[in-house]
Amino acid sequence: MPPKSKEKPKSAAAAPPPSISIEDLFTSIKRHVDKDEFEQIVKLSDQVLSVAPGDEDALRCKVAALIKCDKIDDALSVIRKVPNDFSYFKAYCLYRQNKLKEAMESLKGLDETSATMLLESQILFRMGKMDASVDIYRKLQNSKIDALEINVVAGLVSAGKSSEVKGMMDAL
Amino acid sequence: FPPAFQAFPRNPIVRDLAYDSIDFPTLEHRMKKDKKGLLSRFWG
Repeated sequence: MPPKSKEKPKSAAAAPPPSISIEDLFTSIKRHVDKDEFEQIVKLSDQVLSVAPGDEDALRCKVAALIKCDKIDDALSVIRKVPNDFSYFKAYCLYRQNKLKEAMESLKGLDETSATMLLESQILFRMGKMDASVDIYRKLQNSKIDALEINVVAGLVSAGKSSEVKGMMDAL
Repeated sequence: FPPAFQAFPRNPIVRDLAYDSIDFPTLEHRMKKDKKGLLSRFWG
């Protein structure tokens, strides 16, 4: 392990020159991102991290790719090992593990975005808090989120408010 | 026989929309900017 440095990835310049440059690695990562080839992204991110430990973009790519290929446990163990703030990723992983209270904790303090709202709504749904879950979708109804109506209907029906489905669908 | 078909309630479907919000960082600034590099000088 190289000594911890507060410097950004540039510290890697001091290491012996890698056979492939970090820029080339990121170019490859981008290509695989565009094709949804998540396992390749994990491998290439590891290559970046071997020469630039702690590189924020590489870590973010690795965690996102692990989540995308359903390796939730692996993603969470990476998140827990690094000092970076990956609260949204963490909350999502905990949600997938059904650790709903912890997931909610991890969402707290994050700026409210459509991503955090969608996740919060899904957590509430699993907690059985249907009304709160649907309330969030109401706030999002003008955000043009694809397939939102699926969850809205699920929430309304589960909340015993099937009669509101039609009105809500018209509003979406 | 066979018995008549019957409708039965099922659990509503929820789609994992939060999954779609798991995004990769923008990487353009980490990639090579100068496209007229050594290679293109030879082959470009």
